[in-house]
Amino acid sequence: MRFFNADADDQKVEVLRNIPIFHELTRNEMLEVDELLYERIYEKDEVVFQEGDAGHGVFIVVSGRLRVDPGHESLKKVLLDVSPGESVGELALFDEGPRSATVVAMERTVTVALFQAEFATLLMKNKNIGIKVLLAIARILSRRARQLLQREKHIPSL
Amino acid sequence: MTKIPQPGAATLVVVILSTVLLLLLCQKMIWLVLPLLLALLLYYSLRPVVDALVVRGWRRETAAMTVCFFQTMVAVGIVVLLFLFLSKAGSQGSFSRHVAGGQNLLRKTVGALEGSAPVFKRLNMGARLDDQHVREFGDDFVKKNLLPVILQLLEWLPSLLLVPYITYFMLTDSSRLKKYIIQSVPNAFFERVLLLFSHLDTSLQSYFQGLLLLTVLEGSCLAMGLALVGIPHAIFLGLAAALLAWVPYLGSIVGCLMVVLVAATDFPDKPGVAYACLGLFLAVRLLDDFVFMPMTVGRQLHVHPLLSVLMLFMGATVAGATGLVFALPLYGVIAVIGETVAQIVTDPRLRARYKAARQLAATAERF
Repeated sequence: MRFFNADADDQKVEVLRNIPIFHELTRNEMLEVDELLYERIYEKDEVVFQEGDAGHGVFIVVSGRLRVDPGHESLKKVLLDVSPGESVGELALFDEGPRSATVVAMERTVTVALFQAEFATLLMKNKNIGIKVLLAIARILSRRARQLLQREKHIPSL
Repeated sequence: MTKIPQPGAATLVVVILSTVLLLLLCQKMIWLVLPLLLALLLYYSLRPVVDALVVRGWRRETAAMTVCFFQTMVAVGIVVLLFLFLSKAGSQGSFSRHVAGGQNLLRKTVGALEGSAPVFKRLNMGARLDDQHVREFGDDFVKKNLLPVILQLLEWLPSLLLVPYITYFMLTDSSRLKKYIIQSVPNAFFERVLLLFSHLDTSLQSYFQGLLLLTVLEGSCLAMGLALVGIPHAIFLGLAAALLAWVPYLGSIVGCLMVVLVAATDFPDKPGVAYACLGLFLAVRLLDDFVFMPMTVGRQLHVHPLLSVLMLFMGATVAGATGLVFALPLYGVIAVIGETVAQIVTDPRLRARYKAARQLAATAERF
C-alpha cells in the first residue's frame, strides 16, 4: 500500500540505467537509490549552484545541458559542458567545501541530485550499493584528474 | 566559501514565540499529538530494524508490516499486563490505603524526628497528621483528580490505536513524503532546505533513540534497586517510574512518591524499606543527570540550561503537563527550522538567485 504512485518503477530504473554512476546497480538497488534522489528542473540560464556556495551534493543531468564556469583557469580544460548521464559537484559528497565553479543550465534541464547526508546513510545502510556508487564516482574523479594532468604539459601523465 | 549569516536575537524571540504557540495548539489537539509523538518515537527506534531487513532483501512494505505487527503485539502484551496488575492492585486495596501507608510512614518519621530533636517537637507536626484528614484527602483526591485523569486516558485510548498505523506509513513512505515536500521548494533554496531536513532528521533520531535508551537505563536501574530492596512488582514499578520521568521534574517526583507509598504500605513496620527506595531514587536521579542524560538525550538538544528551564516554565504555564513534556523537543525542532529559515532569508545570494529564477520561469512560460 503506497500513498504515491508506484507504477513508474520501470521508468525510474530506465532513467538511472543511463547514468554511469548507477550502471553497476541491480534493479532493486536502483529503486533503493531512487528513494534518495531529488529531481530538479532548471530553466535556460538558471543557476544550479554558484562558485563559493557550500556544496552538499552531486547533480546528475537526465536531460538538457549544463554549462560549467570555473573560477580557476585549469578547471576550464577539464569540464565545460555537462550532458545527459554526466554529473557535476561530486566532491560535495565527501566534504562541505566551497563549490569550485558556477553551474548554469544551457537549456531547460532535468537533473537528479544525490546529497551528502543521504549518501552517508546509504553507505551505512547498504554497503553493497554504497561501494558500487563510490567506485563509479571515484572513476569519474580519477578520469578528470588524468585529463587535467595530461593537459598541463609541464606535469607528466600518471 | 560564502559565510553563512548566523541567526540573531530576533530569530531566538521568533523561535520561542512559535514554540509557545505550538504548545498551546498541542494542548488543544493532544488526542492527535500523543499518537503522533509515540509513532515518531517508534519510527526512529524501528527504522534501523526495517533498514536492516531491506538490506537482506525484504521489500520495505513487508519489513515495515512485520516490524509494526511485532511492535503492536508487544504493546498489547504490555497493556494486558498493566491491566492485570492494576486490577490486582485494585482488589487488594484502594488509593487511600496507599495514602494511609504513606501517612503511617510520615507519622513514624515525624515521631523519630521529634524524639531526636526538640525543634521538631515544638512544631507539633505529629498531631496534625490525623487519620480523618488523610482519608478525606485521599477520597477527595480520587474524585477530583484521579478519576478525571483515568477518564481522560480512556478517551485517548482510541486515538492510541493510530500509533501502529502512523508508524507503518512513516516507515514505508517517509522518504517519498520528504521528496513530495521538497518538490515545492524553489531551486535556489533547495540545497539549504535539504540540509535542514537532514539536521532535523538527525536531531530527532538522536533525541528519540536517546530518550528510549535513557528510559531503559533508568528503568533497569530502578527495577534492580527495588528488587534488591525487596519491593514487589519491582520491574513494573521501575518501568512506570522511568516512563513518568518523561515529564520533566514533576514526573520524577510522582514516580518516587508512587514507589515510596507502595513500600510504606507493603512494609508498614519497616520504614527503612521506604527510606531505601527514597535513597535509590535520589541515586538514580543523580546518575540520570550526570551520566545517562549527557550520554543520551542532553547531548542532542544543545539548548542552554537557562533557556531550557525558561522553556519548561513557559511550557507548563501555557499547556500544563503537556507543555512540560513537549517544551524542549519542540523548541529543539523549531530552533533548527528558525535558524535555517533565517539563514535563507538573510542570504542575499540565495534571494537574488530565487528572483532571477522566477523571472526566467516567467519568460519560459511566455514563449
